[in-house]
Amino acid sequence: MMNFIGQKIRMCKAVAFVTYKEWSAYRTHSLVSVFVGPVYFIVQYFIWTAVYGENGTLGGMEFQHTIRYFGASALIGYLTMDFADWNLQMLVQSGKFLTFTLRPMHHRFFALSQKIGHRVLGFFFEFLPCLLIFALLFRVEIIPRYMGWTMLSVALAFLMNFYVNYCLGMTAFFFVRANGIRVVYQLLGNIFSGALIPLSFFPEAVQRIMMFLPFQYTNYIPAMVWTGNNSIGEMGMTIPQAVMLQGIAVIAAALLSEVIYRTSIKRFTAVGA
Amino acid sequence: MRYIRIFFTCINTAISKAAAYRLDFVLGNFITLLSNVIFPLVTVLIYANGAQFPGWTMWEVLLIQSVFSMSNALASMICGSVLWVTMDHIQSGSFETVLLKPLSPLFYIACANFDIESLGLFLGGLAMTIISASFTGISGGNGVIMFLLLFISGAAVMCGLELIMAAISFKWVGNSRIPEIFESIKEFGKYPIGIFPKAVQVMSSLIIPVAAVGFFPASALMGRLDMRSLISVLPCILFLLFGVWLYNRMIKNYEGVGG
Repeated sequence: MMNFIGQKIRMCKAVAFVTYKEWSAYRTHSLVSVFVGPVYFIVQYFIWTAVYGENGTLGGMEFQHTIRYFGASALIGYLTMDFADWNLQMLVQSGKFLTFTLRPMHHRFFALSQKIGHRVLGFFFEFLPCLLIFALLFRVEIIPRYMGWTMLSVALAFLMNFYVNYCLGMTAFFFVRANGIRVVYQLLGNIFSGALIPLSFFPEAVQRIMMFLPFQYTNYIPAMVWTGNNSIGEMGMTIPQAVMLQGIAVIAAALLSEVIYRTSIKRFTAVGA
Repeated sequence: MRYIRIFFTCINTAISKAAAYRLDFVLGNFITLLSNVIFPLVTVLIYANGAQFPGWTMWEVLLIQSVFSMSNALASMICGSVLWVTMDHIQSGSFETVLLKPLSPLFYIACANFDIESLGLFLGGLAMTIISASFTGISGGNGVIMFLLLFISGAAVMCGLELIMAAISFKWVGNSRIPEIFESIKEFGKYPIGIFPKAVQVMSSLIIPVAAVGFFPASALMGRLDMRSLISVLPCILFLLFGVWLYNRMIKNYEGVGG
């Protein structure tokens, strides 16, 4: 068992390292975030400064809390960003996925290892510079109040994003062109992940429905955990409850991806489309 | 005259292409429309929670945002593909095929890639504008004329932004994240200008006049601007001219080796 785990870790390290080196050639792409992230943050800052005005609390959140939320949300985005869906669709459509079926490594594990390498690069060239800008330049209290819970929640968001995107990527086994599905998911994700506005601003019914969909587990819950709010959403979940729920959602997404993979692989013709 | 004929021929071709793949065209339009009308949702939710932008009703803010969407759509139709087509040519080293055409390269790329898929967004923006304006009221003939002038100026700013992005791609080869930089700057044009500090107001009115895209035309329509505000047309035209100049200037940097 230990040998198996050790071998998996070595494989993951090797793929992640190669991906890191490969994408290092395009590190200026990552550095775009150092401009874009703070600009979006400034816009949010002024919007919410105007909106809060005399209001002490909106959507159950105070002004400082909302600002911290948007900072955390941006930083979480850099740590969990993923394009496994696009990558897998491209491999299936071009028929190149065949080379992965011949390798002694599950493609999903390979893709996860790639994502780890890619996000390590994101950590150095996007996350850290933006964290410093938020903390030192904008004076936002951006250091998580509960570091352990935050790390766990962000790790779960990382996995959630990956598994959901991988499931979306597998639609390429069923449709000739599955771009539309990806775009629609991204669209819904933008609205319901809480990246544009915290979900606590949505009506209660919508918040309840969101419990059963993957969106909030990729951004809203980790951002709320990051800000240290111990009453998350309309349901008033504590941080441990929210992270536990996130864990259950990740397990469900992982199982779903395995079921879809087993069904999909039977349809793979290896000739592209 | 020749250029106008070519422009309309290209529009005809784009419509014929769309007619060949009707479902794709309808879905593409629908998705483009949906993905561009998300941001007004934030405004609706803010007002639904009992808050507001000081001095602005929800419909007034929505009017700014719907005019912004229309302007964005118009610019996308005319110049939206210039960045991606230019970037593709530079990366593959095939920009010579454009340079050899007996036309201005910029005009050729813009016309040949007229983006009819943004029509849905334009019509969606127009519908939102009409609905919002029916709640805010409009300020009569002068207001409408000012609105039209400022709206065209706003679309010129958006075209200018597209051209600057495309020009940058001559130097920053293959960076697909260039649009993100400019998308973030556009954010300043989607809200009432008064919520930003003075320095940002000056920047977004004169230097990168994104305030002219949604805020000025919508304010003119609501009668919140006087005739002197038409001076804001000037920085918009200068901005577009700068975009055209920069694009043509950057063509000289093209090396023909790909990247």
